[in-house]
Amino acid sequence: MSAVEDPRPEVAGGTDGPDGSVTFGLTVDGTAHQVTARWNESLLTVLRDRLGVRGPKTGCAHGRCGACAVRADLGDGAHVLCACLVPAATAAGGTVETIASIGGPDGELSDVQEAFLAEGAVQCGICTAGFVTAATELLETNPDPTRPEIESALYGNLCRCTGYGRIVAAVETAARARRGATR
Amino acid sequence: MTGAKVATFAPDGGIGASVRRPDGPAKVRGEFTYAGDLTAEGMLVGVTLRSPHPHARIVSIDTTAARAMAGVHAVLTCHDVPGDVHFGLILRDEPVLADGVVRYAGEPVAVVAAVDAATARRAARAVEVTYEALPALTDPQLSLTAASVHPDGNVYRHVSYSCGDPDARGVVTVENTYRIGMQDPAFLAPEAGLARPTPDGGVAIEVATQWLHSDQKQIGWATGLPPEKVHVRLAGVGGAFGGREDVTLQTHACLLALATGRPVKIEYTREESFLAHRQRHPGTIWLRHSADADGRIVSVEGRVLLDGGAYASTSPVVITNTVTLLQGPYRVDNGRFEGWSVRTNNPSCGAMRGFGVPQAAFAHEAQLDALAAALDLDPVEVRLTNALQRGDVATFGQRFDAPTPVREVIEGLRAIPLPSGPAKPPGGVGRAGGAVRRGIGYAVTMKNLAFSEGHVDESTAEVSLLDGHATVHTACAEVGQGFVTVAEQVARTVLGASTVEVVQPDTLVASAGSTSASRQTMASGTAVHRACLAVRDRLLARVARAHGLDAATLTVADGVVCAAGRPLTPVAGAAPGQTFRATEHFQHPATHPLGSSEGGMYVAFGFSAQRAVVDVDVELGLVSVVQVASCQDVGTVVNPTQLLGQIEGGIVQGMGLALMEEVVVADGLITNPDLQDYLIPTIVDAPEVVSTYVTDPVPGMPHGWKGVGEPPLCTAVPVVAAAVRAATGLPLPAVPIKPEHIALGIGAAPTVTWTTPRPADPDRPRGAVVDEEPHDAPGTMAEEGAPPGLHS
Repeated sequence: MSAVEDPRPEVAGGTDGPDGSVTFGLTVDGTAHQVTARWNESLLTVLRDRLGVRGPKTGCAHGRCGACAVRADLGDGAHVLCACLVPAATAAGGTVETIASIGGPDGELSDVQEAFLAEGAVQCGICTAGFVTAATELLETNPDPTRPEIESALYGNLCRCTGYGRIVAAVETAARARRGATR
Repeated sequence: MTGAKVATFAPDGGIGASVRRPDGPAKVRGEFTYAGDLTAEGMLVGVTLRSPHPHARIVSIDTTAARAMAGVHAVLTCHDVPGDVHFGLILRDEPVLADGVVRYAGEPVAVVAAVDAATARRAARAVEVTYEALPALTDPQLSLTAASVHPDGNVYRHVSYSCGDPDARGVVTVENTYRIGMQDPAFLAPEAGLARPTPDGGVAIEVATQWLHSDQKQIGWATGLPPEKVHVRLAGVGGAFGGREDVTLQTHACLLALATGRPVKIEYTREESFLAHRQRHPGTIWLRHSADADGRIVSVEGRVLLDGGAYASTSPVVITNTVTLLQGPYRVDNGRFEGWSVRTNNPSCGAMRGFGVPQAAFAHEAQLDALAAALDLDPVEVRLTNALQRGDVATFGQRFDAPTPVREVIEGLRAIPLPSGPAKPPGGVGRAGGAVRRGIGYAVTMKNLAFSEGHVDESTAEVSLLDGHATVHTACAEVGQGFVTVAEQVARTVLGASTVEVVQPDTLVASAGSTSASRQTMASGTAVHRACLAVRDRLLARVARAHGLDAATLTVADGVVCAAGRPLTPVAGAAPGQTFRATEHFQHPATHPLGSSEGGMYVAFGFSAQRAVVDVDVELGLVSVVQVASCQDVGTVVNPTQLLGQIEGGIVQGMGLALMEEVVVADGLITNPDLQDYLIPTIVDAPEVVSTYVTDPVPGMPHGWKGVGEPPLCTAVPVVAAAVRAATGLPLPAVPIKPEHIALGIGAAPTVTWTTPRPADPDRPRGAVVDEEPHDAPGTMAEEGAPPGLHS
């Protein structure tokens, strides 16, 4: 399934369709889309199945694993949230940055992505996009996090492979590198 | 060979270096394609209708309404299976779709393919199934005496053997009954796969699996297709841990693709994932150890009952692991061991990381601590006193004829300093005040590595080299563990390849067996190593001819062909435009069933020692694990970063079983099939891990490597429990240890009996003597020294 092309102008609140669907504007990774979806679809379903944006992953679909974490501004300021918990309709008019917005335009890796690779924080990798998204936001607000602060920022993301040790190391490495670069 | 011998970084990116995962860049960008990301033109979506009953007769199934719905392309029941309806890893006792009877809640009854998921779900709901509920057999203690819930009977396997004189006694015996809960693999990417019909009338499936050729075989049974018409290709796998060893959706997706002539994708929800895949066996273990005054074990007696659930899966093999490894990494000359894995109407259990050994380890390590306490000995000293050594004979008759560094891992562990610093508030954000007590526990375990008891353990690798670019092709499933990295490292080291491509596994190459049993570095890694050696020899022969040299004087080092040690030509330019290929097979020496006089049961063993430091709020029953220190027998360090990842990941999974993870089954129904109520450790729960290694190379393995994935989990379960016992003074004979166990002091203490020493009868045979008939039914284990817990 691909994005539904809709010629109507973007309506922030959405437009009801005849079959219980709604059409609304949504900006994803800098690209404006017109989306037609059922009200009860999650933002994650819209991203993955309607727009083909597959960086956010489906791990539990009930807000516990964080594999679908994206940075979104749905009118209340940009922050990281679980896309599976957001009804599509409440995302109308919103802006979403997925893992595809992290790193350079030519595929160059961000410092956080680089640190995840260097420290072995990636095994199966299904949680990685969510962790990188959450860790990136942490370092933007707190460039020198303590271990408890790292834990506090990432406890909404589950990893079943690594036991988290390498993930903590990666965040600390990225923070160190970033502090070094700004000095 | 003791202690922290972590290999230094190898500059060529070969064996011993912390080489980065080749699939890592795509994974950190979110661009790696997992099975759940697959899509195809004209794709249909498959949905499974599952039984709501743990045991019921199917009176009728009417699919008329579902088939008539717009957008529905197929509705299949067992009557639509063209081949043999039965499948299974070992016993073939499970129907692809329920055949007249359902035996567990969640058993697939019908599958639907429709234009989208919502339509498919509606159609599945429209299938009218009339059930006649039957009494559900949910207590494994009753399984032997209850009416059979399957034509094949209720016992998957009974194992019974003795060695030496089981009635020998030292000055003390300790005994207790231990319980282990049902753990879910809880890999984070639910099962998914995409099947397509192929032009030759066959079917192709891309699927997240652990064992491509096992899937191929079982899909063939149900579809009636020969293996060459069933093509399995690995899709991106989001974790496995044993839970993808059995077939779940593979056959359904293929049947639907064949029935509709369209690509069909199935992706489970998290709830379905819990219902569909196999859990770790819950079990009850009674153990009695007798020892002399200095703590030396005189005899061990043990009985095990594992609940295998509704269908066999690997239950006949898991029970043997649990029973035979009850001795732990200790010398036991006299013993009597018995166990059953039985059928119930509970969820089916099968492979999960550790494969029966975490259960045994939890019990035998609690016993070692109980012995130490009874004799007022240091728990570490008791373990050193009894540590297995090379040349010892196992209770099951096999001689430990490879490095057996049990003492070394214990000594290595002792060298790691204790953590300093403040208490870690139990509960993550909880109190760190007067009710918080620190505890320190120790555990040592032995895990068998690779397939056992005659199950052939083999792999095949195809390797080619063109202008310094190597291509490696095996059927080894990469599930996150990092085989792709190991394969690349081997190709760099042996071939001097400057770039390496590890081809996505499929069934176009011979079987690599399952990614399980800590076996793939040993099996597929060795096959890759052999194929690389063969390719290298072909390259060197060519270079020798071209330069008029003796090939025996040529070597490859750091990407350069050397003649008598002096650089001659880079590998990349040694034979421009010419491709060198080789296919090589590796197979471990044969293993044999328990009691066989022909040879041992197991290929190899891995040993691991850990120390856990915990802070426990004894009033609230909350535990935080401050640190786990580990010293593990790893043969050699292939990739320090990946090795650490296996150790840390295994420890945290074992900690999960010890403290929080349990699939709660009530009257045959899983009550917590989601990640809200089934708790796996978060980053807040995870302890600091300090990891050191004993590197004693394994003879016959390239670089002396051995499997490392399971031992850390096997040891983490008993070590965390031991530390909580030390903090609380409670016996805590069951895992997971729940807050109420601590706060209310639930769980019986070991029974300690002072005995008159009775030396072993020297006329009793040393090796394992297998009993064909059960000594007792598991529900009637009462005899002298009755195992009380098995009756309740």
